[in-house]
Amino acid sequence: MSYEMIAILMFLSMMVMLLTGKRVFGAIGAVAVIAALLLYGDGGGDFGFNATMKLLKWYPLLTLPLFIFMGFMLSESGIADDLYNMFHVWMGPLNGGLAIGTILLMVLISAMNGLSVAGMAIGATIAMPELLRRGYDKIMVTGVIQAGSSLGILVPPSVVLVLYGMIARQPVGKLWLAGAIPGLMMAALFIIYIVIRCKINPSLGPAISQDELKKYSLKDKLKLLQAGIIPLFIFFSMTGLFLMGITSLVESSAVGAVAATLAALFKGRLTKKVIEETTRKSLGVSCMFMWIILAALTFGAVFDGVGAVKAIEGFFIGELGLGPWEILILMQLSFIIMGTFLDDTAMLIIIAPLYIPLVKMLGFDLIWYGVLYTITCQIAYMTPPFGYNLFLMRAMAPPEVSIVDIYRSVIPFVAIMVLSLAIIMLFPQIALWLPNMFYAY
Amino acid sequence: MPNVIRLYVRYVEKVSYRVGRFAMYLIFLLMGILLYSSISKTFFVPSLWTLEMAQFTMVAYYILGGPYAMQLDEHVRMDLLYANWSPKTRAAVDAFTVLFLMFYLGMILYGGWGSTEYALKYGERSYSAWAPYMAPLKILICLGVLLMLLQTIAVFFKDIATVLNKEISVVGDAA
Repeated sequence: MSYEMIAILMFLSMMVMLLTGKRVFGAIGAVAVIAALLLYGDGGGDFGFNATMKLLKWYPLLTLPLFIFMGFMLSESGIADDLYNMFHVWMGPLNGGLAIGTILLMVLISAMNGLSVAGMAIGATIAMPELLRRGYDKIMVTGVIQAGSSLGILVPPSVVLVLYGMIARQPVGKLWLAGAIPGLMMAALFIIYIVIRCKINPSLGPAISQDELKKYSLKDKLKLLQAGIIPLFIFFSMTGLFLMGITSLVESSAVGAVAATLAALFKGRLTKKVIEETTRKSLGVSCMFMWIILAALTFGAVFDGVGAVKAIEGFFIGELGLGPWEILILMQLSFIIMGTFLDDTAMLIIIAPLYIPLVKMLGFDLIWYGVLYTITCQIAYMTPPFGYNLFLMRAMAPPEVSIVDIYRSVIPFVAIMVLSLAIIMLFPQIALWLPNMFYAY
Repeated sequence: MPNVIRLYVRYVEKVSYRVGRFAMYLIFLLMGILLYSSISKTFFVPSLWTLEMAQFTMVAYYILGGPYAMQLDEHVRMDLLYANWSPKTRAAVDAFTVLFLMFYLGMILYGGWGSTEYALKYGERSYSAWAPYMAPLKILICLGVLLMLLQTIAVFFKDIATVLNKEISVVGDAA
């Protein structure tokens, strides 16, 4: 059997296994070790264990459990409530203002945390019930929260960019900075979309009545702005110190986790229940990710062994005879399509090592590609049927929001993300300007 | 269900739960180590051991926490079809697919056993300035994966019980 056939067979059996609803890490790991045994006989027996040693050496992954912990600390302790109130009062008088405020809230949360879980939890538990109560359109609201929370992996810090940095061997500091402006640009596009929608049809996002606003004096309003201090403090202690070179990457995530805990303590919200919920959920989610990464590393190693990189290169350049840009676009498309069916984290670890050498060979900037890649991941995270954001949304959303609503809600926002992807492809400077400025000397 | 199986499930779940609850708090150790590292680096002499110690802690965290996460049903599935099945169908399919998971875990254990034996025999050390012995970590991984395997077998028994309309008492958070 040719190597291409083996690679395709491995992929197909993984898909079938996933369709049976098997635990994702089990499906990927089982296919990997069985393939290793069939290919290498006795010598293939070590592939499963070797991945644990490889994972050990990927020390930037230390940031993952810490970011997860931090995210749960922010959402469980309710530090974000004050932030939400701030936006509520300041943005409420506009049509669709609360939805805009939610996006801005998500930007701030993204600046404090490197995952989309935190933004999702905060959006679905704090912002969503309030938006629905105010008569906002439920489909728009559902989309806003999913789109907003996906900013978490683009605005620095970002775990996806840490993973990418490990695979592509690029400095994480540069990658994080490269994600900043595209993240803000995407947030701006989301807001423009909301403004236009609500201008055309104000009933989608009714404004807060004047009577209600009268309750707040100007002094009250200014006082609410104090809520912004906590995000600044956390952003500085984590990302700030890291960019200044005082803490290393993994240290900065620990500092961030401690800063979030201190913020909760300071707000008097560090109860026993919050600590219990935060640590337990962190363990659950970290274990889920780690075991998937472990299985995917095994799969990737076997895949690599059958020469999948060469096969893909040969396919794109030799058989299809495409130019660099066509290949790049095709790669992004294949990512989005696969991402809708396969587990996103696993895909990252299995597919990225196959594509990155090719991107490099074609002469593209790997920092810039990291940003494209992250946006593509965001799209994959929220396109049905498989996406963590969809899972989380279903688990967290109020019961009146059905699965169909969730699926329908993402359509306009995915379109905006694809648009952003195109803009950044055309104008690489949007991503590269900031890191080149910062690291110029 | 025979009593032996019932006892097995009960004990394995209890051990997974206790070990997992222990692992859960390792995140604070992880934070402590890294915080110490950043403070000592900024104000005093950088320490050699912190990064590796943090890595070891993380491995312990997710390997020992795995079985407990399985109890909490935190390991995601692709539920395109799965979500629409009845609990019984799910259990029946799981009881079959879980065999693959057992095989996977068995293979990790097999590789781990060989690697641990080697580490013990030759006193393998890590390639770093601190150069710790590797055997303790490898033993820990093997024990964690073994527990994961035992927990998977317990899950298998529980699925069978569901298919047969029998109940096996579950150790929940109350334990």
